[in-house]
Amino acid sequence: MSKNWILYIALLAITVAAPFLFPSYTAFLATLWLFIVVAQAWDMTGGQMGYNSLGNIFFYGTGMYAGAVFAIGLYYNVGEWTDASRSEIFSFTAGQYYTGMVVGIIGAGLFCGLCALIIGPLFFGLRGPYFAIGTLGLAIAAGEIVSNIEWLGGGQGISMPHSPLHPDFEKVLIYFLFAGLGVVLFIFCKWFYSTRFGAAINAIRDDEEKAEAMGIHTLRYKTITWAISAVFVGAAGAVSAFQLIHFEPLETAYQTINLGIFMVVCVLLGGKGTLWGPVIGAILFHVFKEVTWNYFLGGQWVALGLLIVIIVVFFQDGLMGYLKHRRPEWFGIKVESKDKEAAA
Amino acid sequence: MNIKTTMLSMAAVAGVAMGTSAAAMDCETITLGAAISLTGKYATNGVHAQNGYEFAITKIKENGGIMVDDQCYNFNVIYYDDESKGDRGATLAERLIQQDGVQYMLGPYSSGLTKAIAPVTEKYQIPMVEAEGASRSLFNQGYKYLFAVLSTSEQYLASAITLAAEKAEAQGRAASDVTVAIAVENDPFSLDIRAGVMEDAERYGMKIVVDEKLPRDLSDMTSILTKVKLVKPDVLVVSGHSKGAATAVRQIGEQGVKVPMIAITHCEAADVVGNFGENAEDFLCSTQWAETLTYEDPIFGSAANYEQEFKANYTEYAEKTVPYQTAQASAAVYVFKDAFERAGTLDKDAVRDAIAETDLKTFYGDIKFSEAGNNIAKPMVLRQIQDGKYNVVAPSAFASHEVNWPRN
Repeated sequence: MSKNWILYIALLAITVAAPFLFPSYTAFLATLWLFIVVAQAWDMTGGQMGYNSLGNIFFYGTGMYAGAVFAIGLYYNVGEWTDASRSEIFSFTAGQYYTGMVVGIIGAGLFCGLCALIIGPLFFGLRGPYFAIGTLGLAIAAGEIVSNIEWLGGGQGISMPHSPLHPDFEKVLIYFLFAGLGVVLFIFCKWFYSTRFGAAINAIRDDEEKAEAMGIHTLRYKTITWAISAVFVGAAGAVSAFQLIHFEPLETAYQTINLGIFMVVCVLLGGKGTLWGPVIGAILFHVFKEVTWNYFLGGQWVALGLLIVIIVVFFQDGLMGYLKHRRPEWFGIKVESKDKEAAA
Repeated sequence: MNIKTTMLSMAAVAGVAMGTSAAAMDCETITLGAAISLTGKYATNGVHAQNGYEFAITKIKENGGIMVDDQCYNFNVIYYDDESKGDRGATLAERLIQQDGVQYMLGPYSSGLTKAIAPVTEKYQIPMVEAEGASRSLFNQGYKYLFAVLSTSEQYLASAITLAAEKAEAQGRAASDVTVAIAVENDPFSLDIRAGVMEDAERYGMKIVVDEKLPRDLSDMTSILTKVKLVKPDVLVVSGHSKGAATAVRQIGEQGVKVPMIAITHCEAADVVGNFGENAEDFLCSTQWAETLTYEDPIFGSAANYEQEFKANYTEYAEKTVPYQTAQASAAVYVFKDAFERAGTLDKDAVRDAIAETDLKTFYGDIKFSEAGNNIAKPMVLRQIQDGKYNVVAPSAFASHEVNWPRN
C-alpha cells in the first residue's frame, strides 16, 4: 500500500513538473492528457459497463460548442459574434475571459451530462453493435445539425475570445486544465470502481439479465455512468475550444473518424476494463501517432490502420490484459507454480 | 572586418565574372513557415499555392534576392501538410513557431484553415501574409499580424449579379424580377460568397429561389440540380472550391440544366475546360487575377509574362490556365520581400509594421492593406469561358469581351 502511495505521489510530481521540464513539449503533453481523459471516460461505459459507444465524440463536440456559447454568451450575443459580415470588433477583458473560461468549462461539463441523461434512456435499449452504431449516428447527426445552425456560425465554425496571457503561460494553463481533469477523473474512477455502484456496472457488463434479476435498475445505472463520463468529455471539449481558439463542426468538434475512434483505440491498446489501461493506452497511442505523423508522413494512416489491426487480432485484451496473463504476480494474483503441481 | 569586406568584394567580383547566378550564392536565408493542404479535400489548391510560393522564391533569387541592410537574403519555406484539417493546421503552426523557430508565416489554403491558424500566429505575434483566405470573418477579429493580398469573398460574384440585373433591364424586365439559385459548400469561404450574393441580390430586390448547401464531400449535387431544373432561376451560383466547381460543371452538363447565367468560383483551379470541355462553355468564373490584365512589376514583369514563365517552370500547367491561387501566392512572397527591404531589419515587429504600410504595384494587382489586414486596392474580375478560353467580361473597366447571354 505504502509503495503505491509513493508511486502516485511520484507520478503527480512528474505531472506538475513536466511542462516546466519540457517547455517545448507542453502542447504535446496537453493533448496527451486530453487523450487520457477521453479514453478513461470512454472506458467507464465501454470497459467497465460493456457498452461500446462510438459516439462519445458527441460530448466532446457539444462540450466545445457549449463552452463557447457560455463563455461568449455571458458578454455578447452569440449570433452577432458569429456573423461573418459584422464590422464591429468584440473584445474581452482579462476578467471576462477567465470568468468565461471557468463558466464555459463547468457549464459544458454539466450540459453534456444533462444531454447524456436525456439521450441515455433512448440509446440504452440498444445492445452490442446496435448501441455502437446508434451512438455513432448520434455524433454524425449532431455534427451535421450544428453545421447548419447559423447562430453557432454554421459550417464556418466559431472563434473563441483571445487569451490575455502570454502564449507560453497560456499553454501551461491549458496543460494544467487538461491534466487537472485527468487526475480528478483518475481518482474518481479509482474510487468509483470500488463502490457498490462500480460493482453494479461490472455486473451489467458480465450479464445484464442476471444483474436485472438481482434487482439492479440497469437503465438508471447505465444512464448515470454515461452522464458522469459525458461530464468529463464535455469539460475536456471546452478546454480544447479554448486551446484551439477557432474550430468548426465537422472536422474539429464532431471529428468522428479522428478523436472519436482514437479514444476507443487507446483503450483497446491499453486494456479494456482496467484502471490503468486507458492511461497507458493513451500514452502509447499518442506517442505512436506523433511519431508516425512526423516521420512517416504520407504513410501515417496506413501505420495507424496496421496498429489497430494488430491490436484487434493479437492483443484483444490490450497491454494490461496481456501483462495480467503473462505476469499475474504483478497484479497481486497468486498462481501455483507448475513444479508444485507436479510435486503434489 | 577588413578581411570580411575584402572577401565580400572578392565574392562580388567573382559574382560579376561568373554571371548573376553566382552572386546569389553569398545570400543568407530567411526562413518562412507554411502549413498547406497537400492532402485532403483542398489538396489541388494547396499544391497550386505551394507552386506559387516556390516560383516567387526562385524569381526573387534570380533577381538578386532580398536586400536587408546591405546583406542579401533568399527565402526558404518550411512546409507541413495540414491534411485540409483546421486543428491539424493550428498544431502545425504552433510547431513551426515553437520548434522550428519560424518568425514569419505564409498562409495556408482556404479561409477555414486560415481561420484556424491566424489565432496561433496572432498569439505569438508572428506576421502572416496569406493569399488564400478570403472570408470577411477573418478580418473582423481584430488581428494585427494577419495580412491578405486577395480581395474578400463577398466581391467574388458581385459583378455576376450586376450583370444579371443589366441583362434583365435590357430585356425590359425589372431587376427585381430576377430569381437566383444558390448552392454553396458549408465552409467559411463559400458561406461568405453566399452572404455577398444575397446582399447584392437584396439590393436589386431579387428573389432567392434555391438556397442549398453542397454535401460535405462535394461530390454530388444532383438533388440540388433537380430542384434548379424545376424552379428555373435566372441565375445559378455555385461555390465549393475546386472539387465543388468540378462537380457543378460535370453534373450541370450531365443533367442538361438550362439556366441563362451560371456563375461559379475556382474554374481555373479545377481546370474545368480541360476536364469537361464543352460542358464548361459560357460559365462565368470569378477570378482574383487574370493574365490578360495590365499589371506589372520589376520581378515578375507583366501578368502575361508571369503566366508564360510560370508555365515554362511548371510544365504540368502548360495546357491549362494558370489559376489565380498560384499568382496570389507569389504575390504574398513578393509582399514579404518588399516589407523586409523597407523595414531594413529582420525584426518581426518591424517587418509587421512595414507590411502594414505596403503600397505595392505587382503583376497581380495593387496591394494596400486596410487596418483589418485585407487588400483594398485590387478589384475582382469576372471571366466567361468562351470557346474554351477565359475572357474577361466584367466589370466593364476591364472587360475584353461581351458576355454570352443567355447560356444554353
